[in-house]
Amino acid sequence: MDRETRRHVDEYRGSEAGPLENTLIDDLVGGELNRQEFIARASMFGLSLGTVGLLLRHAGMEDLAQAAPQVAGKVGGTIRVGITAFGGSLEPYLLNEGGSLAFAGMPGEYLTFTNPQGRVLPALATSWKPNADATVWTFQIRRGVKFHNGKTLTAQDVVASMRQYVREKSSNAGLTPYFDPAGVTARGQYTVVFRLKSPIGVFPYLVSQTTYQAIIQPAAIAAQPGSWVKAGMIGTGPFRVRSYVDKKSAVLVRNDSYWGGRPPLDGVRVTFYQGSAPIVLALRGGQLDLAMQLSPQEGQPFKNNSRFTYYAQPTSAHRQVCMRTDQGPLRDPRVRRALALAINRPQQLARVMLGAGQIGNDTPFWRGFVSTDRAVQQRTQNLNLARSLLRAAGAEDLKFNLTTWNFLDHGDHAASLQAYAREIGIDIGIEVMDSSRYYDAEPAGADYATTTPWLNRTATLTEYGARGVPNVYVTRCYMSTGDWNASHYKNAAFDAQARTYLAAAEVAAQRRATKAMSGLLLRDTPVITDYFISYVTASSSKVRNYVPEGLSHIRLAKVSMA
Amino acid sequence: MARFLLKRIGLGLVTLFLLSIIVFSVAMILPGNVGRSVLGGFATQESVDALNEELGANRPMVVQYLDWAGGAIQGDLGTSLTSQVPAWDLLGPALSNSFKLAFVAFILCVPLSILGGVISGLRYGRATDRSITIAGISFSAMPDFVTGIFLILVFGIWLGWLPVTAQWDDGASIPTQLQHLLLPALTLTIVLFGYIARITRAGMIEALDSDYARTAYLKGLPSDVVVRRHVLRNALLPTIAVVAVQIGYLFGGLVAVEFLFNYRGIGALILDAAKAKDLPLLTSGVLVIGTVYLVVTLIADILYAVLNPRIRLGAAE
Repeated sequence: MDRETRRHVDEYRGSEAGPLENTLIDDLVGGELNRQEFIARASMFGLSLGTVGLLLRHAGMEDLAQAAPQVAGKVGGTIRVGITAFGGSLEPYLLNEGGSLAFAGMPGEYLTFTNPQGRVLPALATSWKPNADATVWTFQIRRGVKFHNGKTLTAQDVVASMRQYVREKSSNAGLTPYFDPAGVTARGQYTVVFRLKSPIGVFPYLVSQTTYQAIIQPAAIAAQPGSWVKAGMIGTGPFRVRSYVDKKSAVLVRNDSYWGGRPPLDGVRVTFYQGSAPIVLALRGGQLDLAMQLSPQEGQPFKNNSRFTYYAQPTSAHRQVCMRTDQGPLRDPRVRRALALAINRPQQLARVMLGAGQIGNDTPFWRGFVSTDRAVQQRTQNLNLARSLLRAAGAEDLKFNLTTWNFLDHGDHAASLQAYAREIGIDIGIEVMDSSRYYDAEPAGADYATTTPWLNRTATLTEYGARGVPNVYVTRCYMSTGDWNASHYKNAAFDAQARTYLAAAEVAAQRRATKAMSGLLLRDTPVITDYFISYVTASSSKVRNYVPEGLSHIRLAKVSMA
Repeated sequence: MARFLLKRIGLGLVTLFLLSIIVFSVAMILPGNVGRSVLGGFATQESVDALNEELGANRPMVVQYLDWAGGAIQGDLGTSLTSQVPAWDLLGPALSNSFKLAFVAFILCVPLSILGGVISGLRYGRATDRSITIAGISFSAMPDFVTGIFLILVFGIWLGWLPVTAQWDDGASIPTQLQHLLLPALTLTIVLFGYIARITRAGMIEALDSDYARTAYLKGLPSDVVVRRHVLRNALLPTIAVVAVQIGYLFGGLVAVEFLFNYRGIGALILDAAKAKDLPLLTSGVLVIGTVYLVVTLIADILYAVLNPRIRLGAAE
């Protein structure tokens, strides 16, 4: 490290960097973070690329090329994309299904972007800074960005959009726990201030595309909830909607004034498919260039086939086998641990997901999260220990039902668990419901929280989509007050660690908290998470530079066709 | 004839009215609600309740039905709760799509099936008859999605002769649309061939065995004249009734084929509406299909009367 670099770093630390940035630098220099983790954290705090490079040199790490290698394709052409049809609305605040968020995310964009490596990057916001306790976040809005109707993006558009997402009672954005409508304000034309209800060290992730409802709309449209589609789905994205036929097809054309540079493609032709099987057939038959998402089984024909490119992007998406900790045959933690120990996880992953995923450790802390402490010991199959735990609990002839719904291969997953359980003498019956029954009050009109099957059955199997940080999983699935807490897990020690994690901005503190939470979850095992799911899709081999995002968004700004 | 038509139309309207009540009532009993369908399983109950309130989906069933029926009588089929567009904006294009597919399937399937049945009947008991019968039964036994996948693999993927989906670009020419419709229409032809051919065959056998046919032969008339002038018009009477019912199926019952070929027909639309509990769209869609059934069976009855003087004369008496 040269003297000049040290001087620049000292200047930065003394004048610009706040307590959080300085702690981050200490973690880097002290070896707490590797290069990738530092970049992820630095981007979360809004450090510029230049500053990141400087600090990496300061720590003796080379600042390697940032961009993914670009493979040449031709300029021009139209890509044909297959997206699964959706039953719900395209209005941002109501977005819910993979197909709708994939399509809405083409013309629409977000303040930040969480990449598949867990790094939060600038998008419509160029930088952000927290205050000392991460309760106030200040975002700088990118200048010179034009909406598709020619209007210039300003802070007022961001404020109006965000207020819609927390004001509308039927909003699906899930941002209401974080800030009120009055908590997001504009300061001048290009600064937005978020005053949060409680400290959130990872807030920039929560306004990225992982909160897929948080599309930035023009203020005039955002002021009238439910008018975005009628207004032409006006956004800032690399392609604008030219025509849309409800649930049939759409044509998008290039946005020549896109802030990220002129996209190579002339346009996009979207066809909505009623299921993934017709998408597979259309891709194989040459009627499509790119599929939105496929299951691992559907992706098989495209693997090792020179006419196609197969993608499998590791993500934090996972399935939770939630077991009631407060009543019924699974209330004894020894029984739950026994069931978890019966599973051969590598075999389970190979069997159900054909290897498209990563082993889980019965916690939501995916190895790709920066805040995950990787020193936590991985649980492995141990049938003898499982049997002894059952004997100790007096549960040697255990019988219960596992309830799930008819989504993708949930049935296969349940059947696989049933087979493992049988090896230690547990008899699992499988109940597969329709989604409308699984997720609704039973009977209709009854109290939702206490009757809906997915939150109240003895054991349930539910899939959770990918996130850039584990916050949503921790707060909603595991904390005592969580509204998705299907295992009814109530542990004051866990809640305390969770609150510590949520408020922590430094990596070391976050890892200490997640390690403590992992220990509690492995001991109590309210949930079995045996694997995390890779996002699988395929394209024609003519498609260049496509990188799957992991949450159904289809990013085509840099894509070209051979 | 005028009295007959008026009576049928009157009965048809009563049928449609009862149908709408049945569909509405049954759909209300199904689990789920439109708010949950739109917002998804993970939405809070507060959000779901708020959306149901916005859409009016939490009103009593009778109120919702009367609201819809009042509009329907005036030609307004209501607004789709999930898409928030007039129901006819969705039903119209879907009906048009279903009509196109039904038409192509009809002109492929019906002449071929009738021809198969006629040949089979004329060669009753011989190898030709057995081949056509066995082929027909085998095709009918295969589920339509299996037949469809097989055709897609052979003609769409391996040979690359035809598109694998039945969806053409906007503004496509008629030949292009026909090219896209050929595989699903062929699927339906294979599925329906056996049934129609067997009914025709049975009619042919019965007609050929009748006294009037025997008399015609004994009079010295050539075989083709006997078949054309005397046998066919009697043999085809049951076939007309069967074809009329199948036309109704071709409009509203093609959910699996529409799914496989990604074709937005009215069957798929109604299925989606049922799953989402989008009652205005569902009821309006069922009403449209019901109307198609009634019109088609009325046409079949008229054709029946035209072909069979006994019915005309009996009605006159």
